[in-house]
Amino acid sequence: MTHLLDIRNVSRRFGGVLAVNDVTGHVDEGELVGLIGPNGAGKTTLFNLISGFTPLSSGTVAFDGKTISGLKTNQVARLGISRTFQNLRVFPNMSVFDNVSVGAVGALPQGALGALFGSLAGGGARSAEISRRTWEALEAVGLTHVAGELAANLPYGQRKYLEIARALAMQPRFLILDEPAAGLNDTETRALADFIKRLHGTGLTIMLVEHDMTLVMSICQRILVLASGRKIADGPPDAIRRDPAVLEAYLGVDA
Amino acid sequence: MNVSDLSAPRRGQGALIPLLLALLVFVGLPALLAGFDRGYFYQIANLALIFILLSASMHLVTGVAGLLHLGHAAFYGVGAYTAALLSTKFGLGFTVTLPLSGLVAALIAFLVALPTMRLVSIYFAVATLAIGQMLYLVMLNWVEFTKGPNGIIVTKGLELFGFSLSGRLATYYTVATVVALCVLAIGRLSHSYYGNALRSIREDDQCADAMGVSTARLKMEAFTLSAFFAGVAGSLWAHMTGYISPGDFKFSESILILAMVVVGGLGSLPGAVIGALLLILLPEGLRAFGDFRNIMVGLVMFLSILLLPKGLLGEVSALQLARRQLGAAWRNTVKGEGIGWR
Repeated sequence: MTHLLDIRNVSRRFGGVLAVNDVTGHVDEGELVGLIGPNGAGKTTLFNLISGFTPLSSGTVAFDGKTISGLKTNQVARLGISRTFQNLRVFPNMSVFDNVSVGAVGALPQGALGALFGSLAGGGARSAEISRRTWEALEAVGLTHVAGELAANLPYGQRKYLEIARALAMQPRFLILDEPAAGLNDTETRALADFIKRLHGTGLTIMLVEHDMTLVMSICQRILVLASGRKIADGPPDAIRRDPAVLEAYLGVDA
Repeated sequence: MNVSDLSAPRRGQGALIPLLLALLVFVGLPALLAGFDRGYFYQIANLALIFILLSASMHLVTGVAGLLHLGHAAFYGVGAYTAALLSTKFGLGFTVTLPLSGLVAALIAFLVALPTMRLVSIYFAVATLAIGQMLYLVMLNWVEFTKGPNGIIVTKGLELFGFSLSGRLATYYTVATVVALCVLAIGRLSHSYYGNALRSIREDDQCADAMGVSTARLKMEAFTLSAFFAGVAGSLWAHMTGYISPGDFKFSESILILAMVVVGGLGSLPGAVIGALLLILLPEGLRAFGDFRNIMVGLVMFLSILLLPKGLLGEVSALQLARRQLGAAWRNTVKGEGIGWR
């Protein structure tokens, strides 16, 4: 069986630093996978290599049996890989609705003709479809009541959900969440964990990038561990918890 | 909440403002102009309309897509020269030169956009400045082709399929119709999902890219479309005044158009229209003050930016207004407020 996401011998060099070093791994359809590692382990770099943000130095990334390394970021996105950002990147001067709609716009044909000639060029139906997807995504994260607000006016916690809604509006097959719990308190993190589990329950494949273990251990089915650019472990949470290499990487003890 | 509860379209809720605007432009103003019957007033009205189109087209690229464009007047010039040359060398009339002017300006914009679209922020601005200057210098110095600083006299007035529209009132109606149609088109672009995609590029292009938005392609399109409308404005200008020269399209004109967009409100189409009206009508209205009028115009611009940095009619309120009044149907409403668009 082919994996939904298949990473093979991927490396990325920044000058003299090997940020990601020969990493191989996969994510299967319907999985909820965690990607963890200490600060500077190469998690975000690996993630950027998958989404086409950063070009690969070597290796290949395949999505649904198709090689995606070398594609532009927006092409990768249109294949169904959607993401959120570690340092929140909402569009501040656009309304919440408009923010989320960009995800839906991105996943559909985007020419000017549809907007210019409306239904004559398929724009009317596309508009309606974008509105529908946007609204569904807002309902999924529970932000419909602030749909008309400027994104800049939202509190931090809601902006996190806004980013997730924007990613969901693309109706992705694979969602990557980059440190979604960063900056949240315990209560908020628990609510987020429940929310991610519910999303996963709808059949969405999710990869969670976190450097905090607790959230990942509590909801992920399988965990990949990176340290110093290398994959040092890959397995279910219980095995990862006892893995000597992981303990060494996190605690620096000689196990 | 359920989508179906909220999706009741509220069509025709407020077609009042567009109706009033249409009445003003096509009934009220012409009646006033005919009443005064002074050529000078007709000229001012036509000039204001042309600059509304220039400002609206720049709004698309600078206000919505966020690309600081410092060479817009040059594409206006390309349109005007295309019309003038086609008309004097090949005897073509306005009906043919109008679309061709737009297309030639768009073609040149497309060609220069190919290498420049990778540039960002200030680098893009300097590139457009250079392009504007190059085009201006071609108009000024390629004397055999453009007649250089002497300019070109365009004998053919406005017409539609050979039917002359060069009377005072007919000219006004022609200019008003073309400008209204173009502004309507720009409105459809900037108030739709397309405008939203352009706005996302302005806000954060890398992030827009990660959402699947083809940022490079959309930037090219916005730049090319805006040049098309500037070219159309150029054709109107050439046939309307009957004489064009490079001075009409120099750098300071680009800055004037930029000022209109900024004073009106970056990202706001109604703002761009208001800005154009203000910066065309104000200097005319202040003629009584002689040499002081330019200082007063400068003061008005300065104060408006100081007191209303988001513009006379800012983007947020403009979008609300446009979507409520011009967007016809809403998909969803929350607490009586329309969200989204048709």
